[in-house]
Amino acid sequence: MDRVKSLASAILRDWMLLLGLLLLATVFFMAATAPFFFPQPPDTMMGPPLQWPGQYPGAPLGTDGLGRNILAGLFYGAQISLLVGFASVTVAMVFGILVGAFAGYYGGWIDNLLMRVTELFQTIPQFMLAIVVVAVLGPSIQVIIFSLAVVSWPAIARLVRGEFMVLREKAYVQGCIVVGMSDRRIIFTQILPNAMSGVTVMSTIMIATAILMESALSFLGFGDPNVTTWGTMIGMGKNNLRDAWYIMTIPGIALLLTALALNLVGDGLNDYLNPRLRSQRGQ
Amino acid sequence: MKPIRRRFPWAFLAKRVAYGALAMLVIAIINFFLLKLAPGDAAEALAGQAGTADPVYIAQLRAQFGLDQPLLSQLWAFVVRLATLDLGYSYVFNERVSVLIFSRMPATLMLMGAAIVIAVIGGIVFGVTAARYANRWPDRVISFVALLLYGTPPYWIGLMMILIFAVTLGWTPTSGMENVLAFNTGWDRVVDIAHHLILPALAQSIFYLAIYIRLVRAGMLEVLSLDFIRVARAKGISERRLSYRHALRNAVLPLVTVVGTNVGNFLGGAVLTETVFSWPGVGRLMFDAMFQRDLNLLLSILVLSSFFVIVANLVVDLLYAIINPTVELK
Amino acid sequence: MANPILQVENLQICVRKKPGVLILRGVSFHVNAGETLAIVGESGCGKSMTSLAIMGLLPDAVEKLSGTIRFKGRELPIADNRAMRKVRAAEIGMVFQEPMAALDPLYPVGKQVLEVIEEHEKLPREMAWARVIDLLTKVDLPNPETLAWSYPHKLSGGQLQRVVIAMALACNPDVLIADEPTTALDVTVQAQIMRLLKRLQRDTGVAIVLITHNLGLVAHTADRVMVMYAGNKAEEAPTRDLFLSPRHPYTRGLLDATPNPERASAQGGVLREIPGTVPSIADPMSGCRFAPRCGNASELCRARFPEPTIEGAHGYACHHPGTDARV
Repeated sequence: MDRVKSLASAILRDWMLLLGLLLLATVFFMAATAPFFFPQPPDTMMGPPLQWPGQYPGAPLGTDGLGRNILAGLFYGAQISLLVGFASVTVAMVFGILVGAFAGYYGGWIDNLLMRVTELFQTIPQFMLAIVVVAVLGPSIQVIIFSLAVVSWPAIARLVRGEFMVLREKAYVQGCIVVGMSDRRIIFTQILPNAMSGVTVMSTIMIATAILMESALSFLGFGDPNVTTWGTMIGMGKNNLRDAWYIMTIPGIALLLTALALNLVGDGLNDYLNPRLRSQRGQ
Repeated sequence: MKPIRRRFPWAFLAKRVAYGALAMLVIAIINFFLLKLAPGDAAEALAGQAGTADPVYIAQLRAQFGLDQPLLSQLWAFVVRLATLDLGYSYVFNERVSVLIFSRMPATLMLMGAAIVIAVIGGIVFGVTAARYANRWPDRVISFVALLLYGTPPYWIGLMMILIFAVTLGWTPTSGMENVLAFNTGWDRVVDIAHHLILPALAQSIFYLAIYIRLVRAGMLEVLSLDFIRVARAKGISERRLSYRHALRNAVLPLVTVVGTNVGNFLGGAVLTETVFSWPGVGRLMFDAMFQRDLNLLLSILVLSSFFVIVANLVVDLLYAIINPTVELK
Repeated sequence: MANPILQVENLQICVRKKPGVLILRGVSFHVNAGETLAIVGESGCGKSMTSLAIMGLLPDAVEKLSGTIRFKGRELPIADNRAMRKVRAAEIGMVFQEPMAALDPLYPVGKQVLEVIEEHEKLPREMAWARVIDLLTKVDLPNPETLAWSYPHKLSGGQLQRVVIAMALACNPDVLIADEPTTALDVTVQAQIMRLLKRLQRDTGVAIVLITHNLGLVAHTADRVMVMYAGNKAEEAPTRDLFLSPRHPYTRGLLDATPNPERASAQGGVLREIPGTVPSIADPMSGCRFAPRCGNASELCRARFPEPTIEGAHGYACHHPGTDARV
């Protein structure tokens, strides 16, 4: 009985990771095959407007108020979500790792200065800062990626700094210092690889947050006007809240599942990369 | 029996106020350069985006910003204006910016307060329940729902709530803060506003509810495994008292810190919630300012919101020291 | 025999739902009113599990398989948390190993002592608080009125252990279980705490069950000693008998491994260790569990578990007990 239970819980845990990976793979598949399945851009009129899902064969998930194919929107929207999510977090990671590594490795006034600046950025309400950056630089995919990176890096910097402060006291790092290895080499070849597991987990979850924030910017109408995103679709669909609620419901579910997938993968990675923590989280 | 009173940490307060002032200065400088990043000079950007290309207005702005002056004196003038709360005038809204923002503040604070209360209470109730039934089905259900909510776009959940509770079921109003046409006064008005508040506050709290549930659950599990809980059991005290007096209080401490760091996120989220629910607060003002391209108003909101976050963090730190005697404020 | 206040009979504790994996393999002993019984053994021998069982505080991962625990003649419902609450602290108090972690960091220490009194006795607050101050005085804490309002992180390990002792004795229990009460403390503080426990015993007549791995501590404080090995009782005797004529080879091994200036010359000044390691609790061996490490072990030892032999107050479980009196 006990064995059955522990087996079930092991499968359940892996099963959640599996579900996450599967969902994520689906989103990637949608992004990759969008032009193949839907040769025409997602903002073209494909049929009569306000067709409910299943009502019109050309658009299995229905059409919006302007007769655009919702399924095509989902496929093309996946491209933008993934692009913005991964690109912004990559930029944030590079910057955050640099700041955190230097602060944690050198300590002292460098640490003090860098961390004060980091805290400062965390003081400014993230989403508002993103809006203002977009307002100043104009709405385009590049600017949105930049604005989300600007609000995302402090969390990574703080995490990396914490890891570096612990790791630099380890005997093997002290050994590297003693044998006269250069700081740059110690930071990037000795400490950083050991600090990456936490960063990887956090980045996965931050991609989800970035995707949600991008969709929020688009929803408000502050996104790149030249592309269709899930956020814009929800924003448009809100005008048909009463008579055609599926228009905003469907892309919302897509967003939810994508974010859920990334969180499941993040949790799974965490269990995999930090098995020590597993006991704290569950059993 | 009289407890020994602790001294009020004046030194800590002074230090933090000084740091807060410095932080505001740096935020002002960041804003200043953000404005410099905009295409054209600041006056053109401000005027052009405010929709008036009136040369008189532009000249007035140039003088106001001292754009003919060297960069440093421009910066100094900018900082002085912020420090004196002279945030300029919004031609879009025909009102002084400071007045505009402060008149919208109460609505936002009310929404934020309600959302925080819902998230914290919900987080504690569900988090404690999940921890008590760790790895049994109530825990699994709560944990999975929390994971789901964590990934839900907050504005979308707001729309879904409107669809279900306001449009379909008709339980709540769809938008706004009160029924202005009813001319309610006194108690009736309070009830009316509360009625309007339910959905936006819930929608705004959902994401944080998910975080707090996970946090309280993990905290409870950790605390319940500590030695002093076993000692307390050996004292013969009841499980209830054990859970709420000893375990929960220790488990909730980190939550207080997290709520403090989330204040800024709540403000940012208000832009979405207030837009979805037409809630007349600062967030909605920010949406309108963005829509109307009123850059000065946008930046002013950002600066004042940051100021609010700094004050809120200070309050949270003081509060944390009150509930956690092991912390010494220095 | 004096009147036994606590009687444990054939106590078996196993890993939950695994009756084959025994942590306690049928242990019986008694504690007389006002005496000190020491339970000695290395970590994992089941001594702490025995004390937790008496308090009804067994971890979720284990359960009682059989046996009874009688307190003042009635059986303790150790699986019934609600019923056991009335026993804990009120009738049987407990002191733990780690004083630094034993108190809730968020409440003044006096309040935590007060909590015990409030839970078990209906007493006006002022009187209960006066009792708290009185208790803190009795455990030799300086400035009890001020100290009562201190938070745990302000006190030293020794002071905290005194608070924990005050807590355990707040409701005048008949038995005090002290599980390694001095292990986490400095050597000088250890002696103070043990003296304090003995003095409190004289004043209140509380019986003490002292759980320890330190035989040196036992010699000066205990009336009787029970030696445990791998979930079994190996030997039980009045302290003097046990030290002078240990019968079980494990006891002898323990004594040889304990520093003792009086016997140092006889040993050639060398501490002898016991070879080998304790068998796993899951190991289903049928014979004496000490046999693999025992110099005298025979086929009989490996085949059959030795029934306890009783000689007056001295009891042991061994097929080939040593007989030579020790120097």
